[in-house]
Amino acid sequence: MSWETVIGLEVHAQLSTNTKLFSSASTKFGSEPNTQVDLVDLGLPGVLPVVNKDAFKKAIRFGLAIDAEINQESTFDRKNYFYPDLPKGYQITQMSKPIVEGGSIDIDVGEDKKTINITRAHLEEDAGKSIHDAYPDKSVIDLNRAGTPLLEIVSEPEISNAKEAVSYMKALHQLVTFLDVCDGDMSQGSLRCDANVSIRKIGDLELGTRTEIKNINSFKFIEKAINFEIKRQIKVLESGGKVTQETRLYDSGKDETRPMRSKEFANDYRYFPDPDLLPVVISDDEMEEIKSTFPELPGDKSKRYISEFQIDESEAEIISSSRELSNFFEVAVGSKNDPKLAANLIVGEIGSLLNKDSIKIDESQLTSDNFNVLLQRISDGTISKKIAKTILAEIWETGRNADEIIDDQGLVQIQDENLLEEVITKVIESNTKQVEDYKNGKDKLFGFFVGQVMKETQGKANPQAVNDLLKKALNS
Amino acid sequence: MDNKTIETISYLARLKLDKDKKEKITKDLENIINFVAELQDLDTKDIAPLANPLEKVAPKREDSVTSKSRKEAFLSNSPESDQDYFMVPKVVE
Repeated sequence: MSWETVIGLEVHAQLSTNTKLFSSASTKFGSEPNTQVDLVDLGLPGVLPVVNKDAFKKAIRFGLAIDAEINQESTFDRKNYFYPDLPKGYQITQMSKPIVEGGSIDIDVGEDKKTINITRAHLEEDAGKSIHDAYPDKSVIDLNRAGTPLLEIVSEPEISNAKEAVSYMKALHQLVTFLDVCDGDMSQGSLRCDANVSIRKIGDLELGTRTEIKNINSFKFIEKAINFEIKRQIKVLESGGKVTQETRLYDSGKDETRPMRSKEFANDYRYFPDPDLLPVVISDDEMEEIKSTFPELPGDKSKRYISEFQIDESEAEIISSSRELSNFFEVAVGSKNDPKLAANLIVGEIGSLLNKDSIKIDESQLTSDNFNVLLQRISDGTISKKIAKTILAEIWETGRNADEIIDDQGLVQIQDENLLEEVITKVIESNTKQVEDYKNGKDKLFGFFVGQVMKETQGKANPQAVNDLLKKALNS
Repeated sequence: MDNKTIETISYLARLKLDKDKKEKITKDLENIINFVAELQDLDTKDIAPLANPLEKVAPKREDSVTSKSRKEAFLSNSPESDQDYFMVPKVVE
């Protein structure tokens, strides 16, 4: 029997604000436990929540980027449930009137594009963190995260398989990081997703019973968790069983999903408008301000790089696809460096160093200033591009200044024609056989001679000068 | 208002009801619901839902950290804590 899969994703993006959604406590990650907690976050009696202007700005910026409807008047509701990391006994969220409704995101499916419609994106507060393994018979709670603003982005059930889900997540990741809405750090839980998965017979119009896989926090796990769940549901249905609507957890160690302990009663969140919070109204002036500070997105960036700097399309696409790389590139060209050279090194040598260490450029030891120095030394002929790679590798390990490395290791390019001619003469004299072959028409050997000269000079010879002088010497 | 509804509501609110009080509360809740139910007869077709009875809008706060850590005070006022965390009975999903 043939089955088709229907997936909808709910993605929680932690907004990169300084403070919480309703209090002025810091949202910094990794601080000492329970030091970023305000009276409001604790839910103490007599305190009132006050909304964070920037959280709204970021949510609206996201809404504009996906061409959604922005509700300039939105409201907050209480979602009631008891859990120790939720001090108030309810989560403040936007149920009835979310800030963002509709819109869509284009994702890559192989060579093609597919449009995934967005149902809504609403603001809500995060819960604290429970730790269960610190004591044998106790759980402990860190409330630093409690109240951190989240944007929950809900897709329509239009995703057809695990690969598309990953592609959707990647598109979303790129978008929120470029918009400076979220830092996108999945390992710190800044971007995490719940997947609603169901299957049905091909041709059926009605959706099958879905399960929800909670809190998946890496691209790899999204794919694995969904694929496991699809297989599991097919097995259940094909053996005559029924899929139970439930919440499941993905265990990456065992590569399986399993049900969360079922509650005595079904979830009943008893949503109602939060009487502590008035409707939030965004004025037309505020909307204009948000639009006027809208950042340039990857597609436009790539086009601009090609037209403004004449760099290769493929290089432009790679650089513009990452916020960190494009910032790095823009600083380099902003300092009057050769854009083609900069793009070339960023995509080539630096790209492979980044891949090797799986880090972002701003986590490496290579600073923009140091990269500027390196680019200038190539442009002014002090060093060759080949030597630049050696220097980059050294900077990567030590973070030392490019000029220092050039001085210390004597890497200055040899431009001196007399010196180069001396080396060329030596190469020609010790390779008489090759010279003869070359003169008899084996043009390909030219590269061999260049290689020999480079070897003699430890790669420091100016390649253009070597070419010119070699030609002259061999054709004489 | 049947017995099961009362039990569900008290469970969701984490309230344990004594048997004799249960009857009284059931009656009270019924009275409240009947009283409020009169509103259901009103025609609200063209009336926008009211988010808040105060006809005002929410003030917004600048995104700057002004709150300071009061960790020791908070932890020492909780029923149980160690030097870093609030402690609660073991809850594992």
